[in-house]
Amino acid sequence: MSSNTLDKLFGSRVRVKLLKFLFRNYPGNFSVQELSKRIQEPVDDIKKELSLLDKLETIKKIRN
Amino acid sequence: MKKYRIRKKTKKIIRTDKTRWSLNPDFEFFNELRNLILKSSPAEKDKMIKKILGLGRVKLAVTSGIFLENTGSDLYDTVADLFIVGDDISKKKLRAFLVALEAEVGKEIKFTLMDKDEFQYRHGMFDRFIRVLLEGPHEKIINKLGL
Repeated sequence: MSSNTLDKLFGSRVRVKLLKFLFRNYPGNFSVQELSKRIQEPVDDIKKELSLLDKLETIKKIRN
Repeated sequence: MKKYRIRKKTKKIIRTDKTRWSLNPDFEFFNELRNLILKSSPAEKDKMIKKILGLGRVKLAVTSGIFLENTGSDLYDTVADLFIVGDDISKKKLRAFLVALEAEVGKEIKFTLMDKDEFQYRHGMFDRFIRVLLEGPHEKIINKLGL
């Protein structure tokens, strides 16, 4: 299955990239800056997707 | 008074930036989503082949490890995720390609490059690296050597 299929199904390339990154590196935790560097997408786009995934409880905040 | 307020504000910004995120294992569809996401190949093969061919006179490209479809159990013991044999490879293009590929894959890629002569010499003498790579699970995405 091409990742393009998922991009279209989910309606967001950045969201799919984020999920891919998080699942591949699970159970690691990352800051917005780290995510932006690793998946090479702008901080603002990542923040938008994180807030959506947070509302759905797909991801959670880790407090140090 | 004014100074104090500014300092407080700065502190708050720093703290927000420190928020760290991880997947929530209690998410209703955690396993289903994991399977779906990891089922997709980490990078689109057609696009990858096209880019690799553009690096120079590429004779062979082998993917293994992270690029093989897996169920999430990472194949960390692979000798190389990507192995390229070719001549006149542009170092600049190669670097840009690897940076973009690592971003897409989300992991560091174990990468090896060899020129054709070195590869054929090593292949002929049953070099351990070549043997382990070509006898283990792998895919030849470019093969102009008739292997």
